Amino acid sequence: MILIIGSEASGKRTYAKSLGYKESDMAKAVIDDRPVIYALHELVQKDIENAPALLDELIKKEVVICNEVGSGVIPINKEDRLGREATGRLCVQLAMRAEKVVRMVSGIPNVIKG
Amino acid sequence: MNILLTGGSANGKSTYAESICVRLPGPRYYIAAMRPYGSESQKKIERHRIMRADKGFETFERYTDLKGLVLPEKGTVLLECMCNLTANEMFDDLGNMRDPSSDIIEGIENLKKQSRDLIVVTNDVGGDIYGYSDSTMEYMRILGKLNAYLAKDFDTVIEVVAGIPLPVKGEII
Repeated sequence: MILIIGSEASGKRTYAKSLGYKESDMAKAVIDDRPVIYALHELVQKDIENAPALLDELIKKEVVICNEVGSGVIPINKEDRLGREATGRLCVQLAMRAEKVVRMVSGIPNVIKG
Repeated sequence: MNILLTGGSANGKSTYAESICVRLPGPRYYIAAMRPYGSESQKKIERHRIMRADKGFETFERYTDLKGLVLPEKGTVLLECMCNLTANEMFDDLGNMRDPSSDIIEGIENLKKQSRDLIVVTNDVGGDIYGYSDSTMEYMRILGKLNAYLAKDFDTVIEVVAGIPLPVKGEII
């Protein structure tokens, strides 16, 4: 599994396409046959409590794409705080298990693992 | 050696900081700046306590006034974190605000004198949308400047991303 992380609009999906994946290979859902999952942070935010349980399914994907959401001021809204925390923790777990971790910075892929 | 660790929330900064400390000689001191306000903070504090157990740390809960902190011996010191320390020093319970930069810098200098190795954890709070209240913007500016001051002064700066340490200044240890 390749984990692609980076801030909003940093070029994560464009990078996945450069690996040969098409738009039709990408899903915004965990239980799905398509090889690429994107916007994982949005799925985590929708069901924060179950986020850690997604790990086993996620590591079966070819590519997991997630925003980095931990920078900036701690959100005032409790759900936002918990979602941000759960996304970060899940990315740490995914990065541990990924063969490769790519961090996008202004459209530039930085391979930070593998 | 002095090391600054930065990175977003829940990125594994503490785990990495502790992994550095256990490779360095003791005694090990953990300076905890987070006030135990409310159940979320208490949960966080408890989580960190469990993570630290068996790693040989003596914990000092110190929410403000690092200038006045006296450690028992020279050792490995982990300060967590600049975000809490700065907020605690900047705002009082009545909502009054002040610029605590010089006190904080003196506090860090005091820790440096008493450390063989000092590891300081911070966060990039400036990486966010614009338009918060004046006091929050001021907090972002003050913490940003403190981070820059420490980064210039310290030997090593590391950003932790999804648990992976990335060099910003100096070598990864």
